[in-house]
Amino acid sequence: MSLLRKGQQWGTFACVWHIFDATWQDPFKSAHLIKKYLIGLHKPIYHPLNQCGDHVIVINSKEIALRGDHWQKRVYFHHTGYHGGATWTLAWELHSKDPTMIVKKAIYSAMDGTLQRRFTMQRLHIFPDDNVPKEMLENVSNQIKQLRPVPNRLYEIPQEERDKIPRLIQYPSDYQLK
Amino acid sequence: MNGLQLYLQSLLNIKHVNYGGYRYIKRWVSPTQKEITRRKRRLPPQSESKRSNFIDWNRNSEIYAFNTRLSEKFDTEKLNQAFTHKSYIVAELKKQQEMGIEEPKLDISHNEEYIEKGREITSEIVKKYLNRSLPRLPEVGIMALHDYLMSEQMLATASSHIGTKDIILTSEHPVSQQTLAQTFVALVGALVESINVDHASAFVRDFLIVGLANKDLTEIWCPTKPFELLNDVIDAERKMSIEARLIGQAGKNTILSVYHVGIYANKEYLGSGFGETIAEAKDVAAINILAQIYGLHHTSQPLRFNEELNVSA
Repeated sequence: MSLLRKGQQWGTFACVWHIFDATWQDPFKSAHLIKKYLIGLHKPIYHPLNQCGDHVIVINSKEIALRGDHWQKRVYFHHTGYHGGATWTLAWELHSKDPTMIVKKAIYSAMDGTLQRRFTMQRLHIFPDDNVPKEMLENVSNQIKQLRPVPNRLYEIPQEERDKIPRLIQYPSDYQLK
Repeated sequence: MNGLQLYLQSLLNIKHVNYGGYRYIKRWVSPTQKEITRRKRRLPPQSESKRSNFIDWNRNSEIYAFNTRLSEKFDTEKLNQAFTHKSYIVAELKKQQEMGIEEPKLDISHNEEYIEKGREITSEIVKKYLNRSLPRLPEVGIMALHDYLMSEQMLATASSHIGTKDIILTSEHPVSQQTLAQTFVALVGALVESINVDHASAFVRDFLIVGLANKDLTEIWCPTKPFELLNDVIDAERKMSIEARLIGQAGKNTILSVYHVGIYANKEYLGSGFGETIAEAKDVAAINILAQIYGLHHTSQPLRFNEELNVSA
């Protein structure tokens, strides 16, 4: 193979590292987005038998947002295999024990249950906050766009800027604000 | 149509007396076949049988068929001479001597001079044809492609594909690659004498130069210092110097690290290449651009094999 062909091959099968910020994102909807990068479905050379999946680093998995009352109602089932070994853990409980677990399980169950699934999962790196090892961060060359923009919360805005926001109504001076 | 009907009728009328249907295979067939196979396996490896030793071999008709098959007009005498190697004559004379003939004599001539002449002409034709179809390729590249085509292997392949293997007269058996290659150039030499150089050039083009079709030309020739060469080329053509820039990278700290280097001349994008390291990517990018300039790239227009070459002029 000539050097030219080798370069072409090397570029075609390049393994790209992506980063995804999970702050205020729905893990179950993001899972379907991240899955495509992990499997390599976004590449024109995709084939289930060739190795074309990319690496994805998910940061801030602690800050995910679940829909409705899913924190209280969503249940993660586990069975140890022994008699009476079944446990049902609520989403908020699981999240307090391991803040990466909900994202991991969401992505795992978003993929088809093939033999490749566990190997594909090895290309996923989840961090509860934004403390990613430096040498891992140096690999990254693409950011996956978030599904929803992170809203600006009022309490995060400093008081001086908050005062500059134009007001629609002015409370009367004797109005009891509670 | 009537003839066909007659034929079909006569086919229907054949009584299958000798081929009467039977629903069994005789008990002796299987053990006999097995024994024959067993004995064949036990034999030492047999040498390839010589086609000319078969009883139905007719050399004259083979020579005629060779000429007609290729739609060539070889002079039969010269064609015969082109196929006769010196080793064959030596071996024949020795055979006569062993038979007790005092003054062994054989009234045929060998193809030494055809080989010499044919090689020279083939080389010249190949060079001219390549120069014409790849006009921008430098002399080193042309010579590399020329050496590839004139290599023993390519010549032997061309020779065996036109069916010379059984007609060659030589002392060795089976025919070696070297002899096959020599026969091809001898045929070119004979064709020049039979018709003319221009016709021989079409022969060389049709059977030898087409060997370059669907080959990766950059594999046959690749500049050793591509970046410097590209710099010289751009400098000579546009009076500018080139600049390599890193335009992409992935997985820097992994074993699958990829670098994407682009080459620019006066802020104008020329081309790019990928590589394991930055230095390699830079070389690949330069080769990429050079191959496109020279017409060796896999996306360049393929070589044409229908051009007429005027060698004699």
